[in-house]
Amino acid sequence: MLIPRRVKHRKQHHPTRRGQAKGGTSLAFGDFGIQAVEGHYVTNRQIESARIAMTRHIKRGGKVWINIYPDRPLTKKPAETRMGSGKGSPEWWIANVKPGRVMFELSGVTEPVAREALRRAMHKLPMKCKFVTREAGDF
Amino acid sequence: MSEISIKAEPRTEFGKGAARRIRRAAKVPAVLYGHGEDPVHISLPGHDLMLALKNPNALLSIALDGGSELALAKQVQRDPIKGFIEHADLILVRRGEKVTVDIQVVVEGSVESDAMVVTETGVISVEAEATHLPESVTVSVDGMTAGAQIHASDLHLPEGTALITDPEILVVNIVSAPTADELDAELAEAEADAGIERDEADVDEAVGDSVGAEADAEGDGDGSDQA
Repeated sequence: MLIPRRVKHRKQHHPTRRGQAKGGTSLAFGDFGIQAVEGHYVTNRQIESARIAMTRHIKRGGKVWINIYPDRPLTKKPAETRMGSGKGSPEWWIANVKPGRVMFELSGVTEPVAREALRRAMHKLPMKCKFVTREAGDF
Repeated sequence: MSEISIKAEPRTEFGKGAARRIRRAAKVPAVLYGHGEDPVHISLPGHDLMLALKNPNALLSIALDGGSELALAKQVQRDPIKGFIEHADLILVRRGEKVTVDIQVVVEGSVESDAMVVTETGVISVEAEATHLPESVTVSVDGMTAGAQIHASDLHLPEGTALITDPEILVVNIVSAPTADELDAELAEAEADAGIERDEADVDEAVGDSVGAEADAEGDGDGSDQA
């Protein structure tokens, strides 16, 4: 699973959920992709699960790119603990995905196979997504 | 490619409020500049511009104040989700002038069954006459085996087009596809790492899918053996 090897600060504030993606809104590597339609935190387990789902479907052939990285820690206090006594311990690693962000890309397969593989991957993700393809005249 | 005529209107008011009023009227704010002339702020019909920009490197003939100017889209800002054009930067060009544009590399054909095509560079820069801009460059990978590479210098560009991108840059790489056993082992390890458990039904479904995908691939014929 994707986890940062070393971090400057072990615990961070929650990342902001406002706004739209500033970059990474179009396909950069592959011919097909998954674009987030709404913003959400995506955990490293969800990213890995989506990757496995699409790789299992495309079998051999085809190349997958993951354009997001879970570099923000989220903390959690243990159950039945009184408030106070400092911040909880790191529990999840998340990528803060904003609307418009292309999260996964795929190439080397036909469109029907890519569409089905990415549909399966979308079911592993927490937000509403859409399938995008490379079109002529894209800038 | 032929010129696409678009009727423009000059813009007299500026700022986000004015730009939003223009967009509400189904128009797109744009700016026209180049050749050392002062920039001209215009608004273009949104639907016409959208259709024109569906053609790669579209040569636009902008009709403005009784005259007409040739222009290329330098940069287009779009809404990241809806894809609406929010603003366009148009650069003036003249007939016979050489301009540098980016064109898409289109890969066609199918490689050997144990190989996989990886497009390392999907877009290359070329210099061509403004009125004869190529839309794309096609590269055939038919029958190639793993280890084959196509560099920018190997591309067959249309006559009158010169390559600007580094000729040594790798455009298409043919790599060996992972075997089914390697893929299964890698995925099983990843699943174990992520704590994903698969029951019998999932395994059966996966097998069924793979059989279905193979049948589709056989039915499709060209290029689909990569799936």
